[in-house]
Amino acid sequence: MRVRARFIAIAFGLVLVAFGVVLAVQHRTEPSVPRLVQQHDPAPSFKVKTLDGKVIDSASLRGKTYVVNFFNSWCIPCRQEAPALAAFYNAHKGEHDFAMIGIVHDDDPSAARAYAAQEKIAWPVGLDPNGAAALGFGTTGQPETYVIAPDGVAVCGTLGPSTQTELDTWLQAARNGQACV
Amino acid sequence: MKRARWWPWAALALVVIVTVVALIVRSRPSTSAAARADRLEQQLACPVCEGQSVADSNSFEARSIRTEIPQFIAQGQTDAQIRAYYVARYGDRILLSPSNTGLGVIAWGLPALVLVLGGAGIVIALRRWSRTPRLTATADDEAIVASAREASHED
Repeated sequence: MRVRARFIAIAFGLVLVAFGVVLAVQHRTEPSVPRLVQQHDPAPSFKVKTLDGKVIDSASLRGKTYVVNFFNSWCIPCRQEAPALAAFYNAHKGEHDFAMIGIVHDDDPSAARAYAAQEKIAWPVGLDPNGAAALGFGTTGQPETYVIAPDGVAVCGTLGPSTQTELDTWLQAARNGQACV
Repeated sequence: MKRARWWPWAALALVVIVTVVALIVRSRPSTSAAARADRLEQQLACPVCEGQSVADSNSFEARSIRTEIPQFIAQGQTDAQIRAYYVARYGDRILLSPSNTGLGVIAWGLPALVLVLGGAGIVIALRRWSRTPRLTATADDEAIVASAREASHED
């Protein structure tokens, strides 16, 4: 009887240990690289209306290396990131195979327009009122940046603010057909 | 007399059958677009929240998914295709019920395993108890009881 009780206790302990292992394996740490980039997935197609009324279709960007930056006016990291984005854009805007687009994420168009003017954003800014573009990229907040290679694959990017050095590195990698992860 | 014996059981069986049929019919999920959208919103987790469904959350992503789902349904996509679309973008964590592959199998299989083991345990215990010999009174025992009764009557 005592042997059986010991056996049951050991079996119960093993089940608990198994549970612990499963929980430990499932424990998630917050990733810093977007899922789209981790999986080397093709960037989703999107069509957004810019602040000045034009329409940008992702199909027109095919063949270029382009950067997509999700941001909004009330996000502090977006504000911190803005000078790096501006410096990066100014350094590359003349290159024929380069494009950059900002997409407003979870913000009022008038607030986004005022923010773009205040930060002197020179690259096109698209509105995404229904979040279709954001969901296509699988966003989980802002800022988020994606670098898309000429073949349409999202090769580099980050969740959170990016630096000019990072953006330069990612652009070069995308042009060379390399992935960042 | 025989009739009186079986008719309550027949009535009970009828009630049980009617109840079961009614439950099955009522529990059949509606296939209307609105009902499907509601169900999918309940099944999907808000991708930027903890422990909230798309139906419950007011985050931008959840609101966007609520806008998108009816569009997918109108395009003729099945519930499985819509779920797969969001899993491709956000991973398995967007499903509020565990998937039936990989580690999700443990979540589905463990309760069933516990149920089976528990049931088997109960069956084994019942069989063991039924095998325990019943104590029967011997002639000596009955004599002792009888004498005790007599003694108590005399008092």
